[in-house]
Parts: sequence; structure tokens; C-alpha cells
Amino acid sequence: MTCKRLFCLLAGITAVLASTAAWSAEIHGRSSTQFAWFNDIFTGNKQAEFGEYLNLSVTKLDAAGKLSFQGYGRVTDDIRNGEGINGRLYYLYGDYSNLFDRVDIRLGRQFVNYAAGSALIDGGKIDLKNVGPVGFSVMGGRNVFFDLNGEATRSRDFAFGAAVYLNGYKNTDAELSYFLKLDNDGVARDQLGFSAKQYWNSFKGYVDTRFDLPSETFTELLLGVKYFPLADLVLTAEWYQSYPTFDSTSIYSIFAVDRYQETLVRADYTVNDKLSVNAGYTRQFYGEGNDASDVVELGCRIRPIDTVLLALNYDHNNGYGGNLNGGTAEVTYTPIKPLDLAAGFQYDVYAFDRSTGDETARKYWLGGKYRLARDMSASVRVEDNVNAQYKSDWRGRLVFNYDF
Amino acid sequence: MKRIVLILALLGFGLVCLQQRSYADKKMSHAEYAKMAIRECNDCHKGEGVSPNHDADFVRGHRVLASRAGNNCSQCHAQAWCLDCHQGGGSGDDLSQGNAGRDYKPKSHRSGWLQIHPIKAQDNQQQCYRCHDRKYCTACHSKLPQTGLKSLGFVSHRNLNTNTAADQVWGSEHGREARRNLQACQTCHEDGSVCKNCHSTKSISGGGVSPHPRGFKAGNYKDRSSGKVCLQCHLPGTF
Repeated sequence: MTCKRLFCLLAGITAVLASTAAWSAEIHGRSSTQFAWFNDIFTGNKQAEFGEYLNLSVTKLDAAGKLSFQGYGRVTDDIRNGEGINGRLYYLYGDYSNLFDRVDIRLGRQFVNYAAGSALIDGGKIDLKNVGPVGFSVMGGRNVFFDLNGEATRSRDFAFGAAVYLNGYKNTDAELSYFLKLDNDGVARDQLGFSAKQYWNSFKGYVDTRFDLPSETFTELLLGVKYFPLADLVLTAEWYQSYPTFDSTSIYSIFAVDRYQETLVRADYTVNDKLSVNAGYTRQFYGEGNDASDVVELGCRIRPIDTVLLALNYDHNNGYGGNLNGGTAEVTYTPIKPLDLAAGFQYDVYAFDRSTGDETARKYWLGGKYRLARDMSASVRVEDNVNAQYKSDWRGRLVFNYDF
Repeated sequence: MKRIVLILALLGFGLVCLQQRSYADKKMSHAEYAKMAIRECNDCHKGEGVSPNHDADFVRGHRVLASRAGNNCSQCHAQAWCLDCHQGGGSGDDLSQGNAGRDYKPKSHRSGWLQIHPIKAQDNQQQCYRCHDRKYCTACHSKLPQTGLKSLGFVSHRNLNTNTAADQVWGSEHGREARRNLQACQTCHEDGSVCKNCHSTKSISGGGVSPHPRGFKAGNYKDRSSGKVCLQCHLPGTF
């Protein structure tokens, strides 16, 4: 309900600001009116819904252009099963930047992402910058999350965080941060995060990690290096480890868990404007035994003529947990400038373990987009799924977008 | 205490000294290039040691780029660009974007994702929760039948309740499978009550088999939940 009220507020702000002719503020955004039909996997019902998305940006509210407002939300209305109106307010915040050329302040619902954790919050974030080589950031507020029926935040769900990061170095990035999440039972998460990148000539090294304070464990650790001998060739090598992590207030947080590790090598090469290719291999290790999986990925994007783009991807996953062989093929064709046509095919053969046979899953999709005017477009995308659950499952979405 | 004050003083002094520097080599804003084709980035970056970072590996690798406070993602992207995937969207018109259903689907969720996701969910345990709350999994899994889970690949659940040998398989396998993918347990057994049957010191069977890891930091969990999480398995005053 709160969500709906906030969305109304968002729409109201648009109307008020748009009708104020003397105002110098600039209002931009997108209104997206949609109709979607699909099988709801949770209820098993055929669903038909109208949806309205509104993405809004109000800038130049003051002479210096420091104050702005941003908003984004949706309302959907089921017309088939009587589920009625549902909504999500993704964000709605006011942003005041460069206060004293040092401080950025953002208030309202917003997405915050630190190395230690990310959250959608109803609250504030303050950044202190231009005070030397280090910037500071703090954030806090009500922790917002959604479930299938809308917003699921409870009365004591809060998230707080702080970060300190390097500022002003061309070849070096680093951030050390802290993230705290509270729920009805106490401190659900508190963890430290560290992320850093360093460029050396044709190399880039990076590390990204999270340290869980209750278990005193590095629950995630990524070490990687990229080497780009040519401007269009990127070679990547990474090692990553993680542990299953739970809120400290969950009974699952006190169980022993095993470490998951993966090593990856990968190459991405843009041969020319007509062709780019990529290939990768990942070895995944589970627990302390010898169980492992091999994952191979191959892909290419081909543009034989300017109006056609073909994208092919294949991956093979073999080992612990099952086998999976599959890929995708997509083609986009632009016969005339305002019109895009596209089609794709996805195919997978999978088996969970040796006691079950191979099964297949397929998806076919078609789409078209027509730009009616500089600020208007209409598109449709439909797909059919053929798999163990459905012999045929048609779904689709009609979209009319108006940019202002 | 003196040592901490000394360290803080040194850090403060260092910051003051560094502030005297000119940060002329600040990273430039890329806002004016926001609408440029990605392939044209190399027109400037060629030979500068800045790898193309919006390549075919972007979906997997963008977390490192985006996870620093003060990053420059916002110079080109509004938050909607992130949230259309991470919180369910969206209002874009990219035809290759899977948009059947109420929310967008990332490219990894291809073909019959419902069918193949048990294999993908064995990978990095953190991956699913970057976009989904655990209740998203529970919403479906809690409706699954409590028998016949052979097709989901759990060795420990094979033939459970159908023959007497099943208990032996359960006993030897469930611990190994749970340690590797405990989040999979939670998707069906949301409150862990089935675990407590044997692992709780309060269990009727008198189990009390400790599920804690070696070096378990019991005090950390007790402090954070005011003992609530401990009381699920231990009597007051016994932990």
C-alpha cells in the first residue's frame, strides 16, 4: 500500500512540475505502457496484466543545477484472475550534489551498493569528496525488499553502511566498507567489504572480498587479472571462493558449510566490426572431496551486413550436480531504420545425475520494434517454451514507450 | 590506547599532507560519451591500459566495476538500469532482453530455467541472492511434495520413505550435501525444523548432534540475536 501511495506521489510530482510553465526545471523520463501475458509459475494460472512504468528525472531545479529528483516505479493490474493492482517503487530520491564542492546528499528510496553489501533503502546517503585522496560515504535507512506480492519489509528491517575509498587516482581504485543489516531478531548481517583495482600498462589486477564478522570468515573472495595485449583482446584469469552465508538471526547460520571455489580463464576478442568471439573455461570445486565441475563457454557475434547481427553462445557444464549442454542463437535485422526485427532460439539438454535420463528444454522467441517518432516506440516480444513442464507455453509482452 | 591515538594521528597527518597535492589526474567524467557505441570506446582507450569493460563478459564481471562507492556508472546509467535486473523490471525496448512474465530475465535464465536451475544453483552460492530474496525460492519449493525428490538430484533424499535402506543413505549423504549447498535445504525447510529433529539438544529423540563448524564463534551469534538463534536448540542457561 505504501508502494502505491509513493507511486501516486511520483505521478503527482510529474503532473505538478509539468504544468508549471514558468519553471525552468527540466523533466525527462519514460512512460512505458505494457500488456503482458504469461503462465504464473507460482500459482499455475494464466496471467494477463496491464502495466505502467514511469521513469522520471527532474533536473536544473536551481541555478547551479545541484538539485535533482529521480524516480522509477511500476503499477500492474491483473485482468484475468482478480489479483488486482500490484506495484513497486524502485526509487524516488532527491539528490543535492556538490554542496560546498565537497558533499553529495541523496534522500529517499534509493539503491546503494558498497563492496560490503547492497540494499534498496528508504533513507539517506551522504558522500564526502574532494577532501584529498580519500572519499567517504555513509548510508542508512529502512531496508526495502520485495516478495511476490509486493513490498515485504517488516517494521525492524534496516540497513546501514559506511565506505572509505580512494579518490582521484587514474590507475587505482579501492574501497573499504562496512554493511549492517537489522531485522526483527537483531543483527542479521554485519560484514566488511574490500574492493580494489589497479592498472599497469596492459594489465589490470583486481580483488573483491567480503568478510563476515559473526563467522569471522571471508565469505567471498575474488582475485583476478586481465591482460589486454591488443586494444580489442582481453584475457582474463580469476580465482574465486565463497561460503553459503545466512543471516545471523537464521538457524542456518550456525551450521558447518563447505567452501566453493572456481578458477576461470577466458578470452574476449573483437576481431573487427564484423566479428567478435569469446571462449572461457571454469573449473568448479565443491567441498573437501574430489567433486568438481567443468564449464566451457563459447560465443561469437557476427555482423555479415550492417543490418544484420547474429549472436551465438554455447556452454557445457559437466560434473557435480549434473550435466548441461546448451546455448542460444539470436538474430537481429534492421530492414529500415525505424524498424527492428529479432528472433532467437534457446536449447538445453540436461541431466541432474546419472540416475536420470537426458531431458531437453527449448525456447523460441520473436520480436519487433518500431520507432513511431523520435520519442515514441512500440514493441512486441513473444516466446514459446517447450520443456518437461509445458508442451507449449506462449508468453509475451506488448510495450509502448513514450520518452519525454 | 596510546598506540591507537598515535596511529590515528599519523593517518590524519598523512591525509593532511596528501591534501596539499594537486589531484589534477582525477578521472574524467564520461557523461558526454554516454550515447556512444561501446565499440568506439577504444578510439580513446587504445593503448592506455584501460581494458574494454563492457564486453561479452560484462554480466559476470560488472560487480567488481560497480562495487566501489563513487564509481562512474551513474554518468551513463540511471539506477533503473541496475534495478530492471536486480529488482525486476522493466521499461526497456531491447528485443534480446527476455521479458516474458512480470520481471525481466537475465541471459543466464535461458530455455527452461525452471527445469535447469538446480544445476546452475549448485554453482556460486551467493549468485542467486544478488537478485532474489530467499523467500522467492521458498515460495515454490515449499509447495513441492515431501517425497519423490530423486529428480532434483539429492542423493540423500532418494527413496526416502519408500524402503528401509533409505535411512542409511540419508545418514551418510545429507551432511555432505547440506555442507555444500545449505541454501538448497533452506528453500524447502524454511525454518530448519527438520534439522532440529536431530541437531537440537531439545529434540525428543535426544539427538543433539552438533552441526557447528570447528572453531564456531558461538558468542558472536548469541550477541547479534540476543540469544534467540541459540534458544532454538538449547535450553536457557546452557549455552
